[in-house]
Amino acid sequence: MLALFVILVLVSVGSAVLMLASEDAIHSALFLIINFVCVAIMYLMLDAPFLAMIQIAVYAGAIMVLFLFVIMLLGAEKLTAPARRFRWLSVGATALAGIFAVVAAYVITNSKIDLTPGNPSETMLRVVHAAPYTGPVDVYANGELFASDVNFGEATAFKAVTPGEYSISLNPAGTANPVQLVSVTIAGDTTRRANTFTVIAFGGTRSLPPNVGLLPDNLEPVDARTGRVTIFNAYQSPINVVDFGSDGDAGETDPAKRDDRVVVADIQSGSAFTLPLLSEGLSLRSWALTDVDANQPDLAKLPLLTRLDNPQVYSIKRDTAQLWVVATESLFDGSTREVAIPVVSESISQFGGPSAVGELLFSQYMLPFQLIAILLLAAMVGAIVLTHKEGFQPRRRDVRRRVMKPLSSVIADQVGHDVSGEDLPRLPESQPEAIGD
Amino acid sequence: MLQTEWFVMLSAVLFILGAMGVLLRRNAILLFMSVELMLNAGNLALVAFAKHWNQMEGHLFVFFVIAVAAAEVAVGLALIVAIFRTKKSINIDELHQMEG
Repeated sequence: MLALFVILVLVSVGSAVLMLASEDAIHSALFLIINFVCVAIMYLMLDAPFLAMIQIAVYAGAIMVLFLFVIMLLGAEKLTAPARRFRWLSVGATALAGIFAVVAAYVITNSKIDLTPGNPSETMLRVVHAAPYTGPVDVYANGELFASDVNFGEATAFKAVTPGEYSISLNPAGTANPVQLVSVTIAGDTTRRANTFTVIAFGGTRSLPPNVGLLPDNLEPVDARTGRVTIFNAYQSPINVVDFGSDGDAGETDPAKRDDRVVVADIQSGSAFTLPLLSEGLSLRSWALTDVDANQPDLAKLPLLTRLDNPQVYSIKRDTAQLWVVATESLFDGSTREVAIPVVSESISQFGGPSAVGELLFSQYMLPFQLIAILLLAAMVGAIVLTHKEGFQPRRRDVRRRVMKPLSSVIADQVGHDVSGEDLPRLPESQPEAIGD
Repeated sequence: MLQTEWFVMLSAVLFILGAMGVLLRRNAILLFMSVELMLNAGNLALVAFAKHWNQMEGHLFVFFVIAVAAAEVAVGLALIVAIFRTKKSINIDELHQMEG
């Protein structure tokens, strides 16, 4: 990395110097292209692949082609006899550049620019309701309404919060008396790009209030065609994630001969486990969630909580971070069943990639983007007007000339040869009329 | 991990070279190329700081700078062509009068 950087520095500075020094403008343009390519490679080193491509396509491509085209068009490769009327300028320019170089070197090397890492990522929070015996709740953070009327199985959207201590209170929807009040600390992490947290209300009984857990989400970009799945156990006891394999061996009595396997063992109640990245399209039909029983070696005989066999709900979606909250659901008839509540959120896009740039361009920076488009349009019109030979004045002279065309040439056009003066039809000689006789 | 300072330093060096080109060269096209060099130096610093602070906004700035540079080059070269038509020269020392 360092060697590459040193080479790039040498090539870019060298090409810049040669660009300034060469007498032939074509050579200058070619050296400048080398410089632009070096800068593009540096963009790649600085995690800006999209800009690197733009640099190559727009700068080293389009703009430099325009330069070369104009140089060749004007035949201005070499300047004849440079008029050195401003000779003092070169001395002054060199002196100014030297002063600037010294100041810049002093400022940069002595850490006069503030390069302390800031806090770039916005801290976001959302709430997931997985407490079976608690009805719809309003969620308050530090006394302010964060989300209202969250039902069981629902997740709110992410909302920006400032990092710090929060007292989260759950009120039954529309009431002012919290059923649960907990204090959580939301850290302002400077290293993560997506500093997101999920508050999960879970557990509880008909008489006891629900628990509240804080789970940091991992929305970091994933490799192509993979997705991230986190399983949070909001069930009352530890759970296993089991893959039962193919169903063909269901009759096999010897557990060792079946292709059952435990994907994740023993996720404690109130804690989460993030599966390794799974590829898109992986079939989860044979996956299930079971209770944990250390004395039962036969996985098929473990009490089954729920199967993950609905591919519409439980599938690996690319570029997503899914949170499956395993909870008990209280049904209307008083019975209960276990469900895995899927909460799907998009992963953030790769830093510097086209999608990240596009997201910013089409959300926060839409107006500047439009203005740039208008500016480019104006520049296009301006370039046409400037280089157009006559400008855009209406050509009144041409019109008049056509009207004033002598009659003889009109006749010549029609008969195909010149007509001499005698052949021309003449208007009758106008006699000056006597006026006022 | 390369230090941000090094990229900023390189950007300063390229900027100075571009500025010297603007001040020293007399060919109007080369002057424009030097301006492009300076813009590029600024872009490099922006991208380096964007990486340092993990902020995508720097990239957006560079995107806009590149777009504006494209517009500027189009109009600037059109101006040079127009001036060359009337003056038969693009030596900026001979263009110090505003009269056509």
